[in-house]
Amino acid sequence: MTALLRTTGLRVAYGDMRVLDGIDLEIARGEFVALVGPNGAGKTTLLHAVAGTAPLCGGNVDIAGHDLAKAPRAAKQAIGLAIDPPSLPALLTGRECLALFAGARGLPAIPQATLALGETLSLIPVLDRRIASYSLGMRQKLGILLGLIGEPPLLLLDEPFNGLDPRSALAFKSHIVALVAKGDTSVLLATHSLDMAEHHATRVVLLMDSYVRRSWDADELAAMREHPGLSLEKAMADACGS
Amino acid sequence: MSALWHPAIRADWLVLQRTGAVAFVRIIGVPALLLAGCVALACGDFYGGYGWCLAASTLLALGGSYAIAHARLLEALERWRFGWCGALPVARGATAATLLLVTAVALLVLLALVTALLLAVSVSAPHRADLAYALAGIDFALVVGAATAAVRALHAGARARHADGIREPLFALPWLNDPRLPHLFDWQRRAALVRWRRGGSFVMVGVVLAAVPDGPSIPMVVALVLLVLSWSWLAMAMRASADAAAAATCLLGATPLAVDCARMASFRYPAIAASCAVVPMIAGAMLTGHGAIALAWAACAVAVSAWPFLRILRATRRPGRPA
Repeated sequence: MTALLRTTGLRVAYGDMRVLDGIDLEIARGEFVALVGPNGAGKTTLLHAVAGTAPLCGGNVDIAGHDLAKAPRAAKQAIGLAIDPPSLPALLTGRECLALFAGARGLPAIPQATLALGETLSLIPVLDRRIASYSLGMRQKLGILLGLIGEPPLLLLDEPFNGLDPRSALAFKSHIVALVAKGDTSVLLATHSLDMAEHHATRVVLLMDSYVRRSWDADELAAMREHPGLSLEKAMADACGS
Repeated sequence: MSALWHPAIRADWLVLQRTGAVAFVRIIGVPALLLAGCVALACGDFYGGYGWCLAASTLLALGGSYAIAHARLLEALERWRFGWCGALPVARGATAATLLLVTAVALLVLLALVTALLLAVSVSAPHRADLAYALAGIDFALVVGAATAAVRALHAGARARHADGIREPLFALPWLNDPRLPHLFDWQRRAALVRWRRGGSFVMVGVVLAAVPDGPSIPMVVALVLLVLSWSWLAMAMRASADAAAAATCLLGATPLAVDCARMASFRYPAIAASCAVVPMIAGAMLTGHGAIALAWAACAVAVSAWPFLRILRATRRPGRPA
């Protein structure tokens, strides 16, 4: 399979603090990779390094055959990063924000598919309200829509289910599982929801102490789902050494 | 920390120390520019004997101290009431006492600086007799401006968060929006509007008019009001536009946003705001009766106010990286 994302020796540090140290990761088209690990392991930083919004100290990020450092525009055409709710512009309405992102992606208008997902997530009725008046859940939904706008082949999602009501969470989960099942979209999901990782991911990667400590492939995950004595929670606890 | 003072002041002080010189420059930059503007204007009377410069510097000090104090006090009040420390059990009156103390200390520093600067620039001036008027006028204006701002900000503080309502523009001009980056223009316009309201908005007109001393003719008063208001609007709109552009490029960091597209869209609103502000500024300059000098002053004011253009250039050089 062709790698849609390939990181080689990726290193990120904030001042003297090393956050990622030599991360090698490959994601093929149609893969759903869940990134798990304790708080401060560097999951969010890895997503931002792949999205080009965190400065790299070393290593390479290659997206759809384009080096992120040398050809950032071509590389970023292939990614969609769900926006962190606090970063959303309070002075714009949800619809204006979507139009801004559509423009940045070179689209003439907000795509119909984005509005359809907005309808599924019950966000359409509030799209013309200012973001300042949105609840956490509404902001989370808008952040998700902004990441998915233009249907980029690689989705980068950081705890996207935080603040979502159960109905919306289920609808969004079904949506990304369907996208991955079609085979054109890959997902890199940073999450603490081991249930989501175990049941829907095709690979789980444990990030710890700035390194990839362990990963579980589709067969191992299938075995965990089949045998009641096995679980990702237990496997992760073993890998973490506790 | 005494219960008399708000606990956030200690955290703010620590943040300030750890952020370093940049934070201090950000804090003192605008007041320093205000003082420099006031003293430079006063020099017109000390050395040129024009007669209207002291009035203008007094107005500038009044409007400037009001706008700066009002905006900063509202920002601090909002942060303290709705931020991380909003749920802390703060003693009654501690917030107001802390803010008044900070304002008073800042004001004392400003008064000392402006007095020293005025004394220094007037040492060998042919019209040194005007020094007493300059000292009294500018110092008094700084105190009145800051005190009015403190009273208004503390009065409005509790509902500050809800006072940022966005109205649609009186004349909707959709062609002003850059279709390659829609609504960035609106973002910048609304950021400027919110900031203008925090700085006092059109209350400033009344304050400025009330502070004009007896003597100058009506056209002169109108000229001064036009010059001061258009300059303050321009400076504020430029800074708000730069901040919004930097935030937008950061927000769009993971998108394939083209640098030239980001740049063109980010410059559109500040360029239009500058064009609009220059018209009343030229009109004011012509009304003073000293057209050439006033125009030169207006040109300098525009040049000084346009520095946020550099910030936009820097922010859009590599979208996604903090400016």
